[in-house]
Amino acid sequence: MLRLRDVRKSRGSGSQRFSLWVPRLDLYPGQRLAVVGASGSGKSTLLDLLALVLSPDPGGELSLRSAQGEQDIAALWRAGRQDRLAELRSRELGYVLQTGGLLGFLDVRGNIGLSRELLGLGDDGSVRRLAEQLEIVDQLDKRPSALSVGQRQRVGIARALAHSPKLVLADEPTASLDPLNAARVMQLLVEQSQARGACLLLTTHDLQLARSVGLSLLGLQVRRDADGGVTATLEGAG
Amino acid sequence: MRAGLMARLAWHDYRADWRLSACAVLALVAVLAPLLVLFGLKSGLVGSLTDRLEQDPGVREIVPLGGGRYSAARIDELRRLPEVAFALPRTRQIAATADLYPNRPGPVVSVEMLPTGPGDPLLGALPQPQRLDEVLLSRSAAEKLGAGVGDELLAAFGRLDGGVAEYQRTRLRVVGVLPLAAFQRDALFGRLELLEAVEDYRDGRAVAAFDWPGMQGSGAAQRIYPGFRLYARDLDAVETLRQRFAAEGQEVATQAEAIAQVRSLSRNLGVVFWIIAGLGLAGAFAAMTASALAAVARKHRELSVLRLIGFPTAALLAFVSLQALYTGLISLLLGGLAYLAAETLLNQLFMQQAGEYACRLEWHQYLLAAAATLGFSLLAAAAGGWRAAGIEASEGLRDV
Repeated sequence: MLRLRDVRKSRGSGSQRFSLWVPRLDLYPGQRLAVVGASGSGKSTLLDLLALVLSPDPGGELSLRSAQGEQDIAALWRAGRQDRLAELRSRELGYVLQTGGLLGFLDVRGNIGLSRELLGLGDDGSVRRLAEQLEIVDQLDKRPSALSVGQRQRVGIARALAHSPKLVLADEPTASLDPLNAARVMQLLVEQSQARGACLLLTTHDLQLARSVGLSLLGLQVRRDADGGVTATLEGAG
Repeated sequence: MRAGLMARLAWHDYRADWRLSACAVLALVAVLAPLLVLFGLKSGLVGSLTDRLEQDPGVREIVPLGGGRYSAARIDELRRLPEVAFALPRTRQIAATADLYPNRPGPVVSVEMLPTGPGDPLLGALPQPQRLDEVLLSRSAAEKLGAGVGDELLAAFGRLDGGVAEYQRTRLRVVGVLPLAAFQRDALFGRLELLEAVEDYRDGRAVAAFDWPGMQGSGAAQRIYPGFRLYARDLDAVETLRQRFAAEGQEVATQAEAIAQVRSLSRNLGVVFWIIAGLGLAGAFAAMTASALAAVARKHRELSVLRLIGFPTAALLAFVSLQALYTGLISLLLGGLAYLAAETLLNQLFMQQAGEYACRLEWHQYLLAAAATLGFSLLAAAAGGWRAAGIEASEGLRDV
């Protein structure tokens, strides 16, 4: 579905340079992947590349196969077709942010339904169903500010799944939760993604938790280069 | 569909952030309401003055000064000028007086006689005298005589014939009484033929129509009139006619100066208004721009979340612009209400005559103000919208 070959992203220069290198990565529906690595190892950069919000360096291949055919993402970036990228994001992607990333001015129902509304999809009961499955059905009419951090994170997961995207990305989805909540939220995320046949890729520093919910692990290997810069390489990709 | 979604999202955020929204609205109302009142005062005041000038036919009168010599044909020529609404020759002042006897005990009233005819602006909708013995009275004359419409009055015209005072009497029928505003002195308005008959009699000639004795044979064909009653078609024509008469060497008295004063007052008030409006709007524009930029900075995270979810650039631009539009609309509503309250108060304070307003805005003026406000709001939001459009989805996603 998403195919990466020799994709690089560099920031800074000289000894301040940080580069992410993805020699090879293929994402398929139903996959469950966890990228583990210390903070600063390029997890977020990788996620942003996959989420089509960060442009890759020239060269390499980054393409997305969807119902509309093969899309050369790198070419779209080069052509500056931001709105085309936004459209692909809205249809193909669900993104769970570290802190929920909810809109404070909408209630929970509005937040979950937002991605569906943007696509012009009617309410087919999936918002409520998701809320039930994620155990937040009592919170539907509340504002995010009235929820606990764990509940907000569940709302974030519901929003990422509501429009049934092919690819669900999650950036440290359990980092701000207590261990008990973290385990439950992680479990719900994996279950619901799987139930929808989506590919789930998340980043975490909790190796144990990732293993316990059956995620395949990808590692980021950080190494200092001759020029003093740092290169992180994605390893173990299938 | 998506426009509706954006309108709803922008409105939800606008409401959730109501303190900020209220600030923006109040700042705009604080400029808008006084400007509307000022605008209303300008158009009300100038409108009332102009109406007053336009409704008072006296303002359009052009009075020849000094004795002139005009033939009937010359005055007919004047009447045909496009700038002239009404023109009629006058007979000699000394010959144009009459003594009227009241039908009740009381003193004789001496009145001046004025010729009238179709289109006389002083008469307005009052009936024209159709016959030689039909006249209209000025209000003051009618009151002194205790006479009203339909009454018959005895009138006397005198002359000196070889040092002997003679006079003739005739009965005149009152067909109308002029309002006080139209003419203040004691006067009767009759057909030109009546005035010519009286002039002939004074000059010692016989008048067949009234069976008055005197010299036979008249010079009516070559009658020379010393002056005329003339009214310009509109206010602008007054100055045109004044210049025309001045060029012909005929001195005239006009209200051209009063008209010019109102015109220049209107113009100067206009300048004052636009200076104040310019200053006020510049301030409001700066405030609105700043608040739009501040709003985008405050909502940076929300906007980048929208971007991440896949909202296009236009949607983010719309988000900011719509909120500016909401501010504009609410401000217009509140400003309009404040204006209406002020208008009512001012009109109660200053109203002098029915139908006159110290402060008034026509609908099209209010619509103009509304369009300008919304336009300015959108323009002020443009800077914020531009910045919002440039927000990257990856920005601000991880600031906890």
